[in-house]
Amino acid sequence: MKRTPARISQLVFLALFLILFVQTEYRGRDEINAAVNTFFRVDPLVMFSYLLSAKSWTWLLLPAALMTLATLVLGRFFCGWICPLGTVLDLVTSRIRKTTPIRALRGNTKYWLLLPLLSASLFNLNLSGLLDPIAILLRGLTFLLHPLMGLTAREGWVALYRLMGERRDSLAPAYNLIRDNLLPFRDTLYPLALFSAVILLAVIALERFETRNWCRNLCPLGTLLGWLGRFSIFKRTPGGLCADCGACRDLCPTSFEEGHLDKGACVLCLDCQSGCPNGRVAFRPSLDMKGAGPLMPERRVLLGGMAGGLLLAIPTRFRSPEQVSRTLRPPGVRSEDDFLKRCVRCGECMKVCLKSALYPAAYQAGIEGFYTPLVIPRLGYCEYNCTLCGQVCPTGAIPRLPVEIKKREVIGKAVFDKNHCLPFARKIDCIVCEEHCPIPEKAIRSREITVIGLDGISKIVKEPYVLEEICNGCGICEYVCPLETKAGIEVFAVKNRAPISQNPANPPANPYPP
Amino acid sequence: MDRRTFLKASGAASLLAPALIREALAAQQQPLVAVAEGKDYPAITRRAINAMGGMKRFVKAGDVVVVKPNMGWDRSAELAANTHPQVVRAVVEECLAAGARKVKVFDYTCNDARRCYVNSGIENALKGMKNVDCKQIEPERFRKVAINGQFLKEWELYDEALTANVYINVPVAKHHGLSRLTLGLKNIMGIMGGNRGYIHRSLDVALADVNAHFKSSLTIIDATRILTAHGPQGGNIADVKVLNKVIASTDVVAADAFATTLFGLKPSDIPVTVAAYKRGLGEMDLARIRVVKA
Repeated sequence: MKRTPARISQLVFLALFLILFVQTEYRGRDEINAAVNTFFRVDPLVMFSYLLSAKSWTWLLLPAALMTLATLVLGRFFCGWICPLGTVLDLVTSRIRKTTPIRALRGNTKYWLLLPLLSASLFNLNLSGLLDPIAILLRGLTFLLHPLMGLTAREGWVALYRLMGERRDSLAPAYNLIRDNLLPFRDTLYPLALFSAVILLAVIALERFETRNWCRNLCPLGTLLGWLGRFSIFKRTPGGLCADCGACRDLCPTSFEEGHLDKGACVLCLDCQSGCPNGRVAFRPSLDMKGAGPLMPERRVLLGGMAGGLLLAIPTRFRSPEQVSRTLRPPGVRSEDDFLKRCVRCGECMKVCLKSALYPAAYQAGIEGFYTPLVIPRLGYCEYNCTLCGQVCPTGAIPRLPVEIKKREVIGKAVFDKNHCLPFARKIDCIVCEEHCPIPEKAIRSREITVIGLDGISKIVKEPYVLEEICNGCGICEYVCPLETKAGIEVFAVKNRAPISQNPANPPANPYPP
Repeated sequence: MDRRTFLKASGAASLLAPALIREALAAQQQPLVAVAEGKDYPAITRRAINAMGGMKRFVKAGDVVVVKPNMGWDRSAELAANTHPQVVRAVVEECLAAGARKVKVFDYTCNDARRCYVNSGIENALKGMKNVDCKQIEPERFRKVAINGQFLKEWELYDEALTANVYINVPVAKHHGLSRLTLGLKNIMGIMGGNRGYIHRSLDVALADVNAHFKSSLTIIDATRILTAHGPQGGNIADVKVLNKVIASTDVVAADAFATTLFGLKPSDIPVTVAAYKRGLGEMDLARIRVVKA
């Protein structure tokens, strides 16, 4: 990599991305001031798909609106100066030997990706995050690379204990420094981890065929920015290759395959300017729109792309009732439809979730819910005083709520399974669920019932029950249920997610009256 | 005194003497429970410890001490779900003053460990203290231990508790849905690993098993404020009663028995206390416990 302003900017933003990524974790404070969501909030693809699907505006995406304006004026500079995935590609591409470009990717392929995404958004299916470059990078990091790093470090640390025992303590300060600042706190294994990494690696592997292959031929964000960038006021002179030189063809990472600079593909890295052996290249302001290519892709691509979106949006909606009943969304999400319109599937909520409650849906939420976050209470529960997922969601699909309000938001409702729950099934005491229920008035309570034990002897057992009115579905009951076979209590999704009342109509009796 | 009366008296004395001596010894063995009251929590903690003979009685120079508070819940100090940070700090300071080489403070939390350490106020109260480790539980340090109890034959216990020279049990007094109260005997669960919910099916026997196997040198019950309902984690300030008391004893059963009275209950109301008493782990009969104001 040469040390040009664009390269320095790329490295700075990649470093920023990684720092924010590591920062997206509970580090002893209830608030995360700067999270990696910043990158999505400047992402015009996220903004346009949000506008089309939610059909409303959120100030969270103001930076993306500014980026759109900047692109209209300056061109597709995001790809050459900011995009962390583009930077990763630039960093590795010189180590990958090139064969010939894939012809099939040329031309309209990028529109066949972008247009269905946008038109599906119009039909309430917001899939843009699936192919958004920042989301692809983030999911690869969140679901595989970061946990891998954490597990490796942790396994090593455990191995040291087996080796040294108590004497390992002398090394603890060094390990704690890494653990507290770099590693994920929990060792979470995610579904789709391998898939996410394979997608990321596939994008990188495309470099085998030509530089910035993903960016110039596939990336929907890049395509969108390129289309906006064609209105930019900067025009390169000369427009094409010089008859006596042609160095631009090798210098340019994204264009010149047709012998001229495609304005929609130019990422403004300015390598051609700094590398021109004759000093001829310049980027100058000009209102001349000649050479920018056609404004719209061919009509059949436009119409086909729109139809593709419709075809995507409707048939992917099917979900079985079993899936629906366990589609538990993060706290504050009151409507499944509104959530799907806004969720970018970026994975940040799942990264930040304190108790590993959130996982990407593989099949559980139907095809349309692929990669959206699900609460899986048997694996982790929603911590009562925690509001982190709402803080890092870039689009507000998970609303950012004050803790007092978040505590009352309903994820689902807990239901006992009397065939498994010990006091019912085996007539013995347990009520671990009641103990852990965080609602101060206790949404799980118990009553003393005289039962005939399985040994035939009459005895008193505490039988638990759920006060549905004040259950917020946090899932800690299902999480801590000590049964190994199947939890004796489970949380199910409900349609009416009106927040639980602050003053329950049925105030609990004080077991120790004054 | 003539010979007859002398013989009578000496005969009677020789008959009664063993009983008298036994009585006198019993008075010596009567477990001591110190109760300190006041609004200055560090001060009453120290007074309670001093009434038990001072920390030097338990901690020798160079010892590694574990101070085990209850900090299992993501609740702030005033909600009485965790041991008061000032009480914990005072105990730790006393240990250091007695010459402890290292004081370790930890609990196997129910909520997210980081949040519990922060929100309980304990991590912050100990911040910057030399030779004090307020550390997270590391799962690899749980070790399967033969307990040979009535309910638990073996269980995973935390090695840092097992290897410490001195273990000081610092629970908070609070209500508990299953065991009615959670006090010193139940606070032992913080060094237990594995599927802890499993022992709920026979909680009193299981806790007697573990307490019989692993004993604390000193129990200091934080009753500066107690949680009277919706325990063990509460969350409603209306369930909290401020008592400004700290209780100390070397007999965990006696300490628990006395603390029970703060809730208006009798020791016999608490199955865990009864099970531990029957196992010979301490005294629960209030008439046989010497309570001193410290």
